[in-house]
Amino acid sequence: MVAKTRAPVHAGGCLCGAVRFRARGEPLLVEHCHCSMCRKASGAPVVTSANFPTDAFRWTKGRPKYRRSSKIAERGFCAVCGSPLTFRFDGRRDYVSINVGSMDRPERVTPECHIFVADAIPWMLHRDSLPRHRRGFPRR
Amino acid sequence: MDKTKSGAKAKAQAGGCLCGAVRYRISGRPKHVHNCHCTMCQKTTGSLFGAFAGFDAAHVRFTKGKPKDYRSSKWATRGFCAKCGSSLTYRLVADATQIWLALGTLDNPAAYAPRGHIFTTTMVPSLKRVKDGLARYRAYPS
Repeated sequence: MVAKTRAPVHAGGCLCGAVRFRARGEPLLVEHCHCSMCRKASGAPVVTSANFPTDAFRWTKGRPKYRRSSKIAERGFCAVCGSPLTFRFDGRRDYVSINVGSMDRPERVTPECHIFVADAIPWMLHRDSLPRHRRGFPRR
Repeated sequence: MDKTKSGAKAKAQAGGCLCGAVRYRISGRPKHVHNCHCTMCQKTTGSLFGAFAGFDAAHVRFTKGKPKDYRSSKWATRGFCAKCGSSLTYRLVADATQIWLALGTLDNPAAYAPRGHIFTTTMVPSLKRVKDGLARYRAYPS
Protein backbone atom coordinates (compact mmCIF):
# COMPACT_ATOMS: atom_id res chain seq x y z
CA MET A 1 0.00 0.00 0.00
CA VAL A 2 1.35 3.41 -0.93
CA ALA A 3 1.29 5.95 1.86
CA LYS A 4 -0.78 8.92 0.85
CA THR A 5 1.03 12.19 1.42
CA ARG A 6 -1.28 14.97 2.36
CA ALA A 7 -0.79 18.35 0.69
CA PRO A 8 0.09 21.06 3.24
CA VAL A 9 -2.66 23.51 4.16
CA HIS A 10 -1.79 27.13 4.77
CA ALA A 11 -4.46 28.88 6.82
CA GLY A 12 -4.53 32.55 7.58
CA GLY A 13 -6.55 35.70 7.90
CA CYS A 14 -6.58 39.30 9.00
CA LEU A 15 -5.66 40.67 12.42
CA CYS A 16 -9.24 40.80 13.75
CA GLY A 17 -10.29 37.43 12.33
CA ALA A 18 -13.24 38.71 10.25
CA VAL A 19 -11.66 37.35 7.06
CA ARG A 20 -10.06 33.88 6.90
CA PHE A 21 -8.59 31.83 4.05
CA ARG A 22 -7.00 28.50 3.24
CA ALA A 23 -4.48 27.59 0.56
CA ARG A 24 -3.65 24.00 -0.22
CA GLY A 25 -0.33 22.70 -1.50
CA GLU A 26 2.89 24.58 -2.12
CA PRO A 27 2.96 28.12 -3.54
CA LEU A 28 4.06 28.66 -7.15
CA LEU A 29 6.48 31.37 -6.01
CA VAL A 30 7.28 33.29 -2.82
CA GLU A 31 8.76 36.72 -3.45
CA HIS A 32 9.86 39.78 -1.47
CA CYS A 33 8.36 42.77 -3.33
CA HIS A 34 10.08 46.13 -2.93
CA CYS A 35 7.74 48.19 -5.15
CA SER A 36 6.44 51.47 -3.76
CA MET A 37 2.79 50.39 -4.04
CA CYS A 38 3.32 47.30 -1.89
CA ARG A 39 5.08 49.53 0.65
CA LYS A 40 2.22 52.01 0.80
CA ALA A 41 -0.45 49.31 0.90
CA SER A 42 1.20 47.47 3.79
CA GLY A 43 3.05 50.20 5.63
CA ALA A 44 5.97 47.75 5.74
CA PRO A 45 9.37 48.32 4.08
CA VAL A 46 8.93 45.23 1.90
CA VAL A 47 6.04 42.83 1.30
CA THR A 48 6.46 39.09 1.02
CA SER A 49 3.83 37.34 -1.08
CA ALA A 50 3.08 33.69 -1.81
CA ASN A 51 1.42 32.98 -5.16
CA PHE A 52 -1.06 30.09 -5.06
CA PRO A 53 -3.04 28.65 -7.96
CA THR A 54 -6.56 30.12 -7.82
CA ASP A 55 -8.14 26.68 -7.52
CA ALA A 56 -5.95 25.86 -4.48
CA PHE A 57 -7.17 28.94 -2.60
CA ARG A 58 -10.49 29.75 -0.92
CA TRP A 59 -12.03 32.15 1.59
CA THR A 60 -13.33 30.32 4.63
CA LYS A 61 -14.77 33.27 6.58
CA GLY A 62 -15.87 36.72 5.42
CA ARG A 63 -14.55 38.36 2.28
CA PRO A 64 -12.03 41.14 1.78
CA LYS A 65 -12.90 44.55 0.45
CA TYR A 66 -11.23 45.01 -2.92
CA ARG A 67 -9.59 48.19 -4.05
CA ARG A 68 -8.32 48.78 -7.56
CA SER A 69 -4.74 49.83 -6.86
CA SER A 70 -3.75 50.38 -10.48
CA LYS A 71 -5.05 49.89 -14.02
CA ILE A 72 -3.81 46.33 -13.96
CA ALA A 73 -4.39 45.01 -10.44
CA GLU A 74 -6.57 44.95 -7.35
CA ARG A 75 -5.75 44.46 -3.69
CA GLY A 76 -7.94 42.88 -1.03
CA PHE A 77 -7.98 43.98 2.63
CA CYS A 78 -10.15 43.53 5.71
CA ALA A 79 -12.67 46.38 5.98
CA VAL A 80 -12.84 45.96 9.79
CA CYS A 81 -9.15 46.01 10.76
CA GLY A 82 -7.41 47.05 7.50
CA SER A 83 -5.05 44.08 7.16
CA PRO A 84 -3.88 43.78 3.54
CA LEU A 85 -4.54 40.22 2.34
CA THR A 86 -4.28 39.66 -1.40
CA PHE A 87 -3.00 41.02 -4.68
CA ARG A 88 -4.24 40.00 -8.10
CA PHE A 89 -3.36 41.03 -11.66
CA ASP A 90 -6.44 41.45 -13.88
CA GLY A 91 -4.74 39.49 -16.62
CA ARG A 92 -3.71 36.59 -14.37
CA ARG A 93 -6.80 34.91 -12.93
CA ASP A 94 -4.87 31.63 -12.64
CA TYR A 95 -3.14 32.60 -9.38
CA VAL A 96 -3.63 34.82 -6.36
CA SER A 97 -0.83 36.45 -4.31
CA ILE A 98 -1.36 36.12 -0.57
CA ASN A 99 0.45 38.43 1.82
CA VAL A 100 2.59 35.99 3.78
CA GLY A 101 2.29 38.03 6.99
CA SER A 102 -1.42 37.22 7.07
CA MET A 103 -0.72 33.49 7.20
CA ASP A 104 -1.02 31.90 10.65
CA ARG A 105 2.35 30.18 10.06
CA PRO A 106 4.32 32.59 7.84
CA GLU A 107 7.52 30.61 8.46
CA ARG A 108 6.09 27.64 6.54
CA VAL A 109 6.75 29.22 3.16
CA THR A 110 10.25 30.20 2.08
CA PRO A 111 11.03 33.41 0.16
CA GLU A 112 12.72 32.64 -3.17
CA CYS A 113 13.63 35.99 -4.69
CA HIS A 114 13.43 39.77 -4.53
CA ILE A 115 11.43 41.70 -7.12
CA PHE A 116 11.34 45.41 -7.98
CA VAL A 117 14.66 45.97 -6.22
CA ALA A 118 15.06 49.13 -8.33
CA ASP A 119 12.50 50.66 -5.90
CA ALA A 120 13.96 49.16 -2.71
CA ILE A 121 14.78 51.25 0.34
CA PRO A 122 18.60 51.10 0.50
CA TRP A 123 18.68 49.70 4.06
CA MET A 124 16.09 47.11 3.11
CA LEU A 125 18.21 45.28 0.57
CA HIS A 126 19.12 42.67 3.09
CA ARG A 127 22.24 40.71 2.64
CA ASP A 128 20.90 37.38 1.54
CA SER A 129 21.82 35.30 -1.48
CA LEU A 130 18.35 35.23 -3.10
CA PRO A 131 18.11 36.24 -6.78
CA ARG A 132 17.23 39.88 -7.36
CA HIS A 133 15.07 41.16 -10.17
CA ARG A 134 15.24 44.86 -10.88
CA ARG A 135 11.65 45.15 -12.01
CA GLY A 136 9.07 42.46 -12.61
CA PHE A 137 8.77 38.79 -11.83
CA PRO A 138 11.19 36.11 -12.91
CA ARG A 139 10.02 34.23 -15.99
CA ARG A 140 8.34 30.91 -15.32
CA MET B 1 10.02 72.57 14.24
CA ASP B 2 12.15 70.24 16.30
CA LYS B 3 15.78 71.11 16.91
CA THR B 4 18.66 68.83 17.72
CA LYS B 5 21.50 69.73 20.08
CA SER B 6 23.46 71.05 17.11
CA GLY B 7 20.56 73.34 16.26
CA ALA B 8 19.85 71.73 12.88
CA LYS B 9 16.18 71.56 12.01
CA ALA B 10 14.58 68.17 11.45
CA LYS B 11 13.61 67.90 7.82
CA ALA B 12 9.85 67.74 7.39
CA GLN B 13 8.55 64.49 5.92
CA ALA B 14 5.21 63.61 4.40
CA GLY B 15 3.39 60.42 3.71
CA GLY B 16 0.04 58.75 3.29
CA CYS B 17 -1.87 55.72 2.20
CA LEU B 18 -1.78 54.05 -1.22
CA CYS B 19 -4.94 55.75 -2.57
CA GLY B 20 -4.13 59.20 -1.17
CA ALA B 21 -7.29 59.59 0.95
CA VAL B 22 -5.17 59.95 4.10
CA ARG B 23 -2.09 62.17 4.18
CA TYR B 24 0.17 63.31 7.03
CA ARG B 25 3.12 65.57 7.71
CA ILE B 26 5.90 65.11 10.26
CA SER B 27 7.73 68.10 11.69
CA GLY B 28 10.05 66.45 14.23
CA ARG B 29 12.49 63.63 14.62
CA PRO B 30 11.47 60.10 15.52
CA LYS B 31 12.20 58.94 19.05
CA HIS B 32 12.23 55.26 18.12
CA VAL B 33 12.53 53.41 14.80
CA HIS B 34 12.21 49.64 14.84
CA ASN B 35 11.41 46.66 12.69
CA CYS B 36 8.74 44.80 14.66
CA HIS B 37 8.35 41.04 14.24
CA CYS B 38 5.37 40.54 16.55
CA THR B 39 2.53 38.49 15.09
CA MET B 40 0.13 41.45 15.24
CA CYS B 41 2.47 43.58 13.11
CA GLN B 42 2.75 40.65 10.69
CA LYS B 43 -1.02 40.38 10.34
CA THR B 44 -1.72 44.09 10.20
CA THR B 45 0.86 44.73 7.46
CA GLY B 46 0.54 41.38 5.69
CA SER B 47 4.34 41.47 5.59
CA LEU B 48 6.84 39.36 7.52
CA PHE B 49 7.42 42.32 9.84
CA GLY B 50 6.28 45.89 10.40
CA ALA B 51 8.55 48.93 10.63
CA PHE B 52 7.40 51.85 12.74
CA ALA B 53 8.80 55.23 13.73
CA GLY B 54 7.56 56.72 17.01
CA PHE B 55 7.03 60.49 17.34
CA ASP B 56 5.64 63.05 19.75
CA ALA B 57 2.03 63.26 18.64
CA ALA B 58 2.42 67.05 18.43
CA HIS B 59 4.91 66.56 15.59
CA VAL B 60 2.50 64.62 13.37
CA ARG B 61 -0.41 66.30 11.62
CA PHE B 62 -3.00 64.69 9.36
CA THR B 63 -3.32 67.01 6.37
CA LYS B 64 -5.98 65.04 4.50
CA GLY B 65 -8.47 62.50 5.81
CA LYS B 66 -7.96 60.50 8.99
CA PRO B 67 -7.11 56.85 9.57
CA LYS B 68 -9.87 54.54 10.73
CA ASP B 69 -8.97 53.12 14.15
CA TYR B 70 -9.09 49.45 15.01
CA ARG B 71 -8.63 48.47 18.67
CA SER B 72 -6.04 45.75 18.11
CA SER B 73 -5.38 44.94 21.79
CA LYS B 74 -6.25 46.11 25.29
CA TRP B 75 -3.41 48.61 25.14
CA ALA B 76 -3.30 49.82 21.53
CA THR B 77 -5.16 50.93 18.41
CA ARG B 78 -4.00 50.62 14.83
CA GLY B 79 -5.10 53.09 12.17
CA PHE B 80 -5.65 52.26 8.51
CA CYS B 81 -7.16 53.87 5.42
CA ALA B 82 -10.81 52.76 5.19
CA LYS B 83 -10.69 53.16 1.39
CA CYS B 84 -7.53 51.24 0.47
CA GLY B 85 -6.53 49.41 3.66
CA SER B 86 -3.00 50.81 4.06
CA SER B 87 -1.72 50.31 7.62
CA LEU B 88 -0.76 53.76 8.88
CA THR B 89 -0.52 54.18 12.65
CA TYR B 90 -0.04 52.55 16.03
CA ARG B 91 -1.13 54.34 19.22
CA LEU B 92 -1.22 53.47 22.88
CA VAL B 93 -4.61 53.76 24.56
CA ALA B 94 -3.00 55.07 27.76
CA ASP B 95 -0.67 57.62 26.14
CA ALA B 96 -2.05 60.05 23.56
CA THR B 97 1.23 62.00 23.48
CA GLN B 98 2.91 59.46 21.18
CA ILE B 99 2.17 58.13 17.72
CA TRP B 100 3.96 55.54 15.61
CA LEU B 101 3.83 55.75 11.80
CA ALA B 102 4.29 52.80 9.46
CA LEU B 103 7.57 53.53 7.62
CA GLY B 104 6.32 52.12 4.33
CA THR B 105 3.72 54.88 4.07
CA LEU B 106 6.33 57.67 4.00
CA ASP B 107 6.75 59.30 0.59
CA ASN B 108 10.48 58.95 1.26
CA PRO B 109 10.64 55.67 3.19
CA ALA B 110 14.42 55.93 3.42
CA ALA B 111 14.05 59.03 5.62
CA TYR B 112 14.42 57.03 8.84
CA ALA B 113 16.38 53.82 9.26
CA PRO B 114 15.41 51.23 11.88
CA ARG B 115 17.81 50.96 14.80
CA GLY B 116 16.90 47.42 15.71
CA HIS B 117 14.58 44.45 15.47
CA ILE B 118 12.02 43.94 18.23
CA PHE B 119 9.90 40.95 19.29
CA THR B 120 12.39 38.64 17.64
CA THR B 121 10.96 35.48 19.24
CA THR B 122 8.43 35.46 16.36
CA MET B 123 10.89 36.63 13.68
CA VAL B 124 10.64 34.15 10.78
CA PRO B 125 13.73 31.91 10.35
CA SER B 126 14.45 33.11 6.81
CA LEU B 127 14.94 36.65 8.17
CA LYS B 128 16.74 35.53 11.34
CA ARG B 129 19.51 34.17 9.14
CA VAL B 130 20.09 37.56 7.49
CA LYS B 131 22.91 39.47 9.15
CA ASP B 132 22.16 43.17 8.93
CA GLY B 133 24.12 44.34 11.97
CA LEU B 134 21.06 45.75 13.76
CA ALA B 135 20.42 45.06 17.44
CA ARG B 136 17.85 42.38 18.20
CA TYR B 137 15.48 42.52 21.15
CA ARG B 138 13.06 39.89 22.36
CA ALA B 139 10.62 42.63 23.48
CA TYR B 140 10.38 46.42 23.36
CA PRO B 141 13.74 47.81 24.58
CA SER B 142 13.40 49.98 27.66
